[in-house]
Amino acid sequence: MRRRSVSVLLAGVMTLGLEAAGLTGCGSAGEGKESIRLMVWSPQNDQSKDNGEWLQTMCEAFADEHPEWDITFVYGIADEASAAGTVSQDAEASADVFMYANDTLTTMTDANALAKFGGKYREQIESMNSEAVLDSLTMDGELYGVPFTTNTWFMYYDKSVYTEEDVKSLDTMLEKGVVSFPFVNSWYLPAFYIGNGCTLFGDGTDESAGVDFGGQKAVDVTDYLIDLESNPNFRIDDLGSGIAGLRDGSINAMFSGSWDANSVKEALGDNMGVAALPTFTLNGEEKQMMSYAGSKAIGVNPNTDNMVAAVELAVFLGSPEAQRAHYEMCGTIPCCTELTEDPEIGADPVVMAQNETFLNTSILQPFVSKMNNCWTPVENMGKGIRNGSITHDNAADQTEQMNEAMNSDGI
Amino acid sequence: MAGNKIHSAKKRRFINNTIVHVILGILAVIWVFPIVWVILTSFRAEKGSYVSTFFPQSFTLDNYAKLFTDTTILNFPQMFMNTLFIAICSCILATFYVLAVSYCLSRLRFKMRKPYMNMAMILGLFPGFMSMVAVYFILKALGMTEGNLIKLALILVYSGGAALSFQIAKGFFDTIPIAVDEAAILDGCTRWQIFTKVTLPLSKPIVIYTVLTSFMSPWLDFIFAKVICRANADQYTIAIGLWRMLEKEYIDSWYTSFAAGAVLISVPIAALFLYMQRYYVDGLSGAVKG
Repeated sequence: MRRRSVSVLLAGVMTLGLEAAGLTGCGSAGEGKESIRLMVWSPQNDQSKDNGEWLQTMCEAFADEHPEWDITFVYGIADEASAAGTVSQDAEASADVFMYANDTLTTMTDANALAKFGGKYREQIESMNSEAVLDSLTMDGELYGVPFTTNTWFMYYDKSVYTEEDVKSLDTMLEKGVVSFPFVNSWYLPAFYIGNGCTLFGDGTDESAGVDFGGQKAVDVTDYLIDLESNPNFRIDDLGSGIAGLRDGSINAMFSGSWDANSVKEALGDNMGVAALPTFTLNGEEKQMMSYAGSKAIGVNPNTDNMVAAVELAVFLGSPEAQRAHYEMCGTIPCCTELTEDPEIGADPVVMAQNETFLNTSILQPFVSKMNNCWTPVENMGKGIRNGSITHDNAADQTEQMNEAMNSDGI
Repeated sequence: MAGNKIHSAKKRRFINNTIVHVILGILAVIWVFPIVWVILTSFRAEKGSYVSTFFPQSFTLDNYAKLFTDTTILNFPQMFMNTLFIAICSCILATFYVLAVSYCLSRLRFKMRKPYMNMAMILGLFPGFMSMVAVYFILKALGMTEGNLIKLALILVYSGGAALSFQIAKGFFDTIPIAVDEAAILDGCTRWQIFTKVTLPLSKPIVIYTVLTSFMSPWLDFIFAKVICRANADQYTIAIGLWRMLEKEYIDSWYTSFAAGAVLISVPIAALFLYMQRYYVDGLSGAVKG
């Protein structure tokens, strides 16, 4: 039995992890129950008593499903965004199973800290998720994690100010109320550039293609942004001013992600509206804002001593049942197709908006290494427009400089 | 004539004093401004990280209460006790190291004295966190990066390098006349007795200074704690906890509590300083009497 599970693994997992799995397999063969130790890292939120200890509950359910193992779980705290840093610092002494954001994929693979999923596990993951979600975790044809939620930003608005028709166009929104946008945050600002045909690394995976944030199409956007910034009904959302504005009523719409859902609900109550991104009018043409989108996934450490159990646990934590519990206990928006089509969960406006944004008004956030050069120049563009140093007169010049900076490795 | 002169000199002094005091007043306001703001924020009832008014609209103690009651996500009391324990232990160790090394370098003459001082000078030029990854792997090899041993690891990290920062204490010991030591030797004191019974009582200000600085560095350190604690949330120190409160998931609901935490961490330092500052008075006055 053990031999077979190891051979199934052969199909997919990395050699390093394999050796480890093979070794444990031999070491404890012959006993009725294999005792293993699995270290699991997740954000604090998933382990909090207030949220019913989702992770602990799931891990115990997993142990019940696998009586052949006597599992000791060790829990640690690492949120998805910073897990890459912690794991790649010392992969050997890190968790066997952890959660990470897909934009840190290359950091982890470079540190040999992420196992590939193959064979029956890969098939199982592929059957549960949409193509777009899987793409966010696939590099060079290899799948690196079990997705459990999508990660992007969308729009919150005040229903007493806007109708569902209004929120389809940013220009209408600016006429009828006050809109706030994180103008100086480079996770958000590219939405306008990408909307007008600017591209990053070809389709997002071709590092040699470079960034195309130059030319007339980009200059037009810069000009549009300068006008937008000076619009009396526009506010820059910085350091939490957007959510504060929603609270006191001075702002009617803002852009953020699911992590702000509870605060917005508290601020707006029944008037809380959630929608995918609107269009904006550039030189008389309607353009769609496009956000960066990614996913959060459960990864397995190739240095684990118990590869089979670790992979099984990762798949279990990303299964529809676990995602449903995750949604009910912690409010984590599910991404597997079974649940997004679920009438009850799918009707939640936040889930709807996030999934609609993910599928229709976003591009996959590139995770090639050179993407790291793309953040500061865009942020500087936003700041330059805010402080008035970038004007219509030098817009072309400044846009070209931004494009150059995004394409260069220099600091 | 003379009366006029005095009058105008008085007047000039009055004008000078006024200008100086106004400038000092403005500087004081600027200097105190951020601290006042943090304290005000810690009592603010409105949620969120951004407010449009300087003074809170309404005040509350809930932010402090939240730190100690809402412990499922960020366990502030535990972090506080962790940090306090680490800081007290490393403070005692580091103070002893610094004072002992300074005393030796000031009073004893041995072959490695000069090379040691040069080496310490050069090593002191490099920032400590340059070695943090190496330190982490050494601690890992010793098996000290898991569970409660992390506390021991942090204590060692914070106190281990203390002997390199002897310069100020050594400079102070140099100013105590050798004659005092010689008198003690004539009376039959050993070196250890001179150190504890003569030098230390004469050096209260520098002892206080050393205690304060060696308490503050582990109390406020972020970078080593972050590298060594990694995912072990039960070992987190306050600095990591406060930093986590500002992450995008928590900032909106935890910001005012973050300010409350910032106020609370200043309490032990302030208490230590207030208690010890009375020893700051002239430490050498005792020696002249004898």
